[in-house]
Amino acid sequence: MTDSTTARVPKPPLSQADLLYEAQQRRDRRFRTNVSLSWGIMLLVLLYLFSGQNFLGIKTIQLDTEFMRKNVGFIVGGLGQTLLVSFLSIILATILALLAALGRLSTIPPLYALSTFYVSLIRGTPLYLQIFFFFLALPQVGIILTGLFAGVLALGLNYGAYMSEIFRAGLSSVGKGQREAAIALGMNPRQTMQRVVLPQALRFAIPPIGNDFIAMTKDSALVSATGFLHEVMWRATRVGRAQFNNLEALIIAAAIYWIMTIILSYVQGIIEARLARGDR
Amino acid sequence: MMPIVQISNLDKYFGRLHVLKNVSVDVAPREVVCIIGRSGSGKSTLLRCINFLEEPSFGTIEVDGIKVAAGEKGKGHRQLVHDVRLKTGMVFQEFNLFPHMSVLENVMEGPVTVKGMPKAQAIELAEENLDSVGLLFKKDEYPNRLSGGQKQRVAIARALSMEPKVMLFDEPTSALDPELIGEVLNVMKKVAKEGMTMLVVTHEMGFAREVADRVLVMAEGEIIEDEKPGMLFSQPKDARTKALIDRYRTGER
Repeated sequence: MTDSTTARVPKPPLSQADLLYEAQQRRDRRFRTNVSLSWGIMLLVLLYLFSGQNFLGIKTIQLDTEFMRKNVGFIVGGLGQTLLVSFLSIILATILALLAALGRLSTIPPLYALSTFYVSLIRGTPLYLQIFFFFLALPQVGIILTGLFAGVLALGLNYGAYMSEIFRAGLSSVGKGQREAAIALGMNPRQTMQRVVLPQALRFAIPPIGNDFIAMTKDSALVSATGFLHEVMWRATRVGRAQFNNLEALIIAAAIYWIMTIILSYVQGIIEARLARGDR
Repeated sequence: MMPIVQISNLDKYFGRLHVLKNVSVDVAPREVVCIIGRSGSGKSTLLRCINFLEEPSFGTIEVDGIKVAAGEKGKGHRQLVHDVRLKTGMVFQEFNLFPHMSVLENVMEGPVTVKGMPKAQAIELAEENLDSVGLLFKKDEYPNRLSGGQKQRVAIARALSMEPKVMLFDEPTSALDPELIGEVLNVMKKVAKEGMTMLVVTHEMGFAREVADRVLVMAEGEIIEDEKPGMLFSQPKDARTKALIDRYRTGER
């Protein structure tokens, strides 16, 4: 048997700092729990509103669950197209935005003008109009694009104009000293841009690009109006209109967009946290 | 001995401001020249004109036989400027390490990107230079994990890795906490001892007195004194020099 006096080391008493820290942690935990709880209640209330139940004299909406069960698969089937058009569009938008931002910083007048001209034209007209332009106006002069191509072109051009500001901010976030250090090492302007300025500007731009990608997955619903791209929104309105079940169809589509956005935001948060770790 | 750096009749205007007025300086190989002066005296501008971070308005710069005249344009001029930059290494007040590269990558970057040196050889060279500033053990860290003094020592290693003929230091310790200045000055002393030609814009009078072969005093865009440190600090000729030295003496660490 070991000596009880040496075997049982008393736990050191908690210091004032420990106590304060623990209290703070408890408050934070309680706040988070209560927020989650409230979210849960709000979700339940929302679901209840569409349950068709009659409770305390409040009438709720009766949904055609038979229709929903039958058609949910068809509408979800558009998710691939939604994500595909968004993904291709964000790539096009990123390239255009980068070029526009570089043009904006250029000292060559035509390049500077091209950049500001593009941004001004696109930002000065509605996205909805631009989408119809590519689907409906161009065929009139004999240019017929596939649904996917026209959609990507419209969304990419539009988002590229807005995102050029992100890259402009990213490029100007790289300090003058960074360029000077590169120049002093003997780098030419292209090497300075490629090796020193762009990598830092891109890192700055990744979180906002992610935000725009999430926004784009929802704006892609606008291309459904043209009828050429069978993504989530197009499918929802198609089955909804045909069977007079617009309510059910749109609720399904809304749920799809919402869940997708939550998942993408979560992924975005992970990426951002990882980028922040390597920060200066 | 033939001077390795020859600055002749250099003028620099910023807009209407005349910041360098017909400045001429020769620096011999292996010489350590400190440039002191109040802020706005033109000392940093003079240094930055040597590697054309600032394009001088008039005059010529010659470094190790490469002569560049101010105010010219075109491909030939750009090539000469590039050649001068390859002969000079620069250390900045704000370190300017590349934050997206590790310490080792920072030091490799010049040789690999500018000189096209094979990676393996560049790693060897970078490790050698990091070792000489005492920071080889930090080679895989990123700059944000280093202290100011360590950052500046890496910046010195980065400049040395281009194997320059002349090192330019632009207030290398001015952004540092007082307790970190010593380690940087020690590395600079070591570089000087190894025979590097150095031009150092500084406020560190102790360093100037101990290490410099010559001290230039600048005021209002001109060199008002060019003297060995012993002479300069004991018998300053110009009243402005005396005022400058007195100011540092009273505030000396």
